[in-house]
Amino acid sequence: MSAQPLTVRSVTPPECRGCNSSVPVDEHFCPNCSRIQSLGRHGDYFAFLGLPRKLVIETQELDRRFRDLSRKFHPDFYYNASPAERLASLERSSYLNDAYRALKQPVSRIEHLLTIEGLPLGKDEGGAAKVPPGLLEEVFALNEELDEIRDLRESGADAATLAARLATARTPIEAKRDEHERALAAASEQWDRQGDAAADARRATLESLRRLLLERNYITNLLATIEREAAHG
Amino acid sequence: MGKVVGIDLGTTNSLVAYATERGPVVIRDASGDALLPSIVSVDAAGTVFVGREAQRRLLTDSVRTVYSVKRFMGRGVDDVQGEAHLLPFRVGGEAGGVVRIGVGDKEFTPPEISAFVLRELKRRAEEHFREQGEFDFEVDRAVITVPAYFNDAQRSATRDAGRLAGLEVLRIINEPTAASLAYGLDQKNRGTIAVYDLGGGTFDISILKVEDGVFQVLSTNGDTHLGGDDIDRMLTELVLAEIGTGGHGLPADTVQAIRKAAIQAKIDLSSADEAVLAVDRAAGLPDGFTRDITRQEFEALIRPLVDRTLVPVRQALDDAGLDPGEVDEVVLVGGSTRVPLVRRLVQELFGRVPHSDLNPDEVVAVGAAVQADILVSGRREMLLLDVTPLSLGIETMGGVTSKIILRNSTIPASGREMFTTGVDGQTAVDVHVLQGERELAADCRSLARFRLRGIPPMPAGLPRIEVRFQIDANGILSVSAKELRTDIAQAIDVKPSYGLTDAEVERMLIESFEHAEADFEARLLIDARNEAESIVFATEKSLRRPDFAQLTGHEVTPSEVASIEKAVAALKAAIAGTDREVIHAATHALNDATRHLAEVMMNNSVREALAGKSVEDV
Repeated sequence: MSAQPLTVRSVTPPECRGCNSSVPVDEHFCPNCSRIQSLGRHGDYFAFLGLPRKLVIETQELDRRFRDLSRKFHPDFYYNASPAERLASLERSSYLNDAYRALKQPVSRIEHLLTIEGLPLGKDEGGAAKVPPGLLEEVFALNEELDEIRDLRESGADAATLAARLATARTPIEAKRDEHERALAAASEQWDRQGDAAADARRATLESLRRLLLERNYITNLLATIEREAAHG
Repeated sequence: MGKVVGIDLGTTNSLVAYATERGPVVIRDASGDALLPSIVSVDAAGTVFVGREAQRRLLTDSVRTVYSVKRFMGRGVDDVQGEAHLLPFRVGGEAGGVVRIGVGDKEFTPPEISAFVLRELKRRAEEHFREQGEFDFEVDRAVITVPAYFNDAQRSATRDAGRLAGLEVLRIINEPTAASLAYGLDQKNRGTIAVYDLGGGTFDISILKVEDGVFQVLSTNGDTHLGGDDIDRMLTELVLAEIGTGGHGLPADTVQAIRKAAIQAKIDLSSADEAVLAVDRAAGLPDGFTRDITRQEFEALIRPLVDRTLVPVRQALDDAGLDPGEVDEVVLVGGSTRVPLVRRLVQELFGRVPHSDLNPDEVVAVGAAVQADILVSGRREMLLLDVTPLSLGIETMGGVTSKIILRNSTIPASGREMFTTGVDGQTAVDVHVLQGERELAADCRSLARFRLRGIPPMPAGLPRIEVRFQIDANGILSVSAKELRTDIAQAIDVKPSYGLTDAEVERMLIESFEHAEADFEARLLIDARNEAESIVFATEKSLRRPDFAQLTGHEVTPSEVASIEKAVAALKAAIAGTDREVIHAATHALNDATRHLAEVMMNNSVREALAGKSVEDV
């Protein structure tokens, strides 16, 4: 008797609670009895919406899929169904709404891609805790500028002067933001072209997406700081 | 299965509608009135009056009459201190608890008062179905509307009111969204719609995108304490200030008479440039009060109030990522949008003439009926996708709010949060759930506190408790929890901050069944009184006719007239009492006393008619 290959991972496909037949994990409805399936561990919004794992998405296509699936899952249409199906409808609708919200905006879409590709942004990374190395110079210059503006205000400078100085402070940061938006768009397109590329090339793209995203979040915070400063005046 | 209806449970008026094959129909009372004033009055004998009758009692027994109860739904005593002073009824309750409304020696929670209104609508609908010859006329299920900006507690209170009225609440839907459904019926259009809904007590703005029959709310905002009531109060206060004493110490009934005059002037100013604020003489107001008011003056008075609605409108547009000019249609809902200033300012903001082709009072109930029909019929042509108006969060270290579900998230929506323990062997964790946008927990609305119990004893920080927050399609929250290492579901005792627990609702339901017989008796008493009053009225009218002698051809003797008058007096006395049997007996007695009179009058009028004919014939 020849040795049987060891099953490293036993994948038990989920079972339909209605008819006990097995249902592939990405199916919303049982192929056999067409009952809505309870939502197991899912995490891929792209697959859930039936979209390829790509970053450039046709908004109208996303909207259409969202509407179509809403029509299939919404609790309105399970009013007379069994408790299990009603729960499944609630779970799938909630998940669909999350998925749509995340994929609708390019930034949250990239964030989700990074999560499912194993490079999630940490909880504290979005904040102002640590200056990304690529932005040290800008942040240093901005802080000096803001200090000077505060000094000016305290010595009684008029509003026009302060506004002009704030505009000067804002300009390089805004330029940096635009630069990042373009770089993010370019990296996104690169990711989309790399469907068949080697794993390390794909990994490199993901890492640059991650770095750009963290920097972009940091820039957004800097701009918010300037806005707060402006509101002071 | 009984019938299902859509109900607009309003601050000022409530309506009921249902779907037919030919479209939705608003149910009217015998006199053709669709609006049921959301007013409840309880007399000393404990008889409950709802609607017009209760409205009349505002002027005669205002301390036992409750209006605008919607403003108190799901709220705490501490929230409403500021607005209780002009109200004739008592507003109280324990600090930190739900509002209790005192009427005589009885106390009611706002859901109980609302349940009286809902029960009356249910009765009205059942009467309608019975008249239609329906075999199964019982109404047992309903979709009830709430302001879009209602929080969890206010929604839960509305659902409790439905249950207390013996209705299964199929769904709570938002008023502006319901209105958009009603509008969407005849115009199967697509585009972006803004619904501006200024009602009696609440203001909502919702921005929707309509495509393929899917009504997707992009954003919503509002103020649950801003509406026509506030206009009425401003006008009332204006009068009170102009009365010599500043209005202090006026009897509650007189304040209500002033409020009634204020409401009339407001309505008049929607079509006229000038109106008269006229109050008849009343207790504490021996000379009455009269004052002209121009529309200009009125608009200057209410301008700050209308301006307040524009702040949420701009926020909602901003949240939807739209400029005012990008909105394709603007729809006006709610009675207060009849005020010309409101129309003008909305038009200026959006740069387009708002729609108001559907009756702004009825459009919400119509939408609720459409949604009810979608739920029971399973029709899928139309689908409402609404949002949660306020962010949901929990209190974390230092009293800061950590948001779990953001405002304007499409519902149903879920979110999860991980908790752990801070002390070795800790078996319970307290969680405080909040709703609102502010950073500090103290500035947000406290929804509930609950305790996660039964955590397996472990070193601090080791347990991983996943708490799942689920907002359903009603916009109402439920919470579940599980310790992930052991996969043990956690017990949760939720104590709503400003709501009733399920046990309290159950108890009230049982009490209402116990009172059902008393309520039924009360209804029979009202019917008996109404019948008796109409007979008294008809009799007195006949006796007072100037041509009485001529009409009866002197066949009715003075002694007969005297005995009729005696019977009338007896019946009037019976009406003033509470014994239904006595009223019935007195009614019969009057009928007997007037039988001969009625025959004589009938014969004479027939004779006259025939005589007239014969003259003509000749």
